[in-house]
Amino acid sequence: MKHILIALLFFATATLKAQNNAVAAGEKLVYTASYNMSGVLNDIAQVTLETSNVKTSKATLLHLKCKAVTYSKWDNFFKIRDLYESYVNPKTLTPYLYKRDINEGGYSKNMKYTFSHKTKTVKTVQTKGDWVEEKTVNINSGTYDIVATLYKIRLFDFESMQVGAKKSFTVIFDRKEINAQITYLGKETLSTAIGSKTCYKIAVGSSESNVIKGNKDNMLWLTADANKIMVYGKFKIPVGNGELKIKSATGVKN
Amino acid sequence: MKQLFTILALITAILALILSVLPVSNLAIFPAALALIFGLIAFYLSKKAGEVKKIIQFSFLLTIMALAVTTYKAIFNTTEVGNTETLVEKEETSKEEAIEELEELNLEEIELDE
Repeated sequence: MKHILIALLFFATATLKAQNNAVAAGEKLVYTASYNMSGVLNDIAQVTLETSNVKTSKATLLHLKCKAVTYSKWDNFFKIRDLYESYVNPKTLTPYLYKRDINEGGYSKNMKYTFSHKTKTVKTVQTKGDWVEEKTVNINSGTYDIVATLYKIRLFDFESMQVGAKKSFTVIFDRKEINAQITYLGKETLSTAIGSKTCYKIAVGSSESNVIKGNKDNMLWLTADANKIMVYGKFKIPVGNGELKIKSATGVKN
Repeated sequence: MKQLFTILALITAILALILSVLPVSNLAIFPAALALIFGLIAFYLSKKAGEVKKIIQFSFLLTIMALAVTTYKAIFNTTEVGNTETLVEKEETSKEEAIEELEELNLEEIELDE
């Protein structure tokens, strides 16, 4: 009886706390972002997702980095140099520090969030040139920043989810909490730059939109293996749609 | 009718040429195809009327130029990332700042690497 209880307790904690068994330090995923209009592709930018270990005197954290850089042909028209970073707990991917530094066609903005999960607050600092603004925002427990969320999606156990099953979570972006939701839409095999992959097909949306009714504007494809890396993404924009295609993947965990 | 198609052909041909020199050169295919269709209709109608204006031939010339530029760019231009030096610098300073910042936080609840 005791053993069963211990086993049950272990099982309960294991399912409660999504353990990180998909994301490792040293992983580098490179994507091409392109604009697709009636099948004619136009490459726009290169998106890189990188992870690394960061050591402080007290702990080792996982550093998640997301970069967007326009291709050279665009640099004279609309130059983008974006950097999104998140420092997270390597086991649960809970964020502690989030930094956003964007430079898009001459417009630049800096944002920094410091998470305090005990008091459920986020200290935000926004910088635009010499102008600095500080604000403290209240959050719910389990609110992640955008970069950590991107990785957190990979910790979900899609194998045990039924087609049409939904998962909700909150994301803090521009100092606002946004309710987001993903819907598992089954498996699909895609041929990608890193080979033919069986993927979990996922629709992303806010919890208000009804994905099943046919609103499949934003979709993600994650490989149906232990790594669950994103290989393809599709986003609806006014004319045509944006695409994110994997170019290379190195240093994956499993 | 003849005039309408001549104007349409000219407009689409110019649009195709403009698009072909922009980074979205692949999109020039759409107006170029339209320019060819309009141009052919205008040409056919004018020929029936007995007089083919030079402007129609001019719009064909523009379209061919646009298509040539687009094809050249699609075949010979490789897409590569531009100058990222400043971004790399920014990444490094950002990381240093972040480490300082993280030192100040109370992170004792995180276990160290086994």
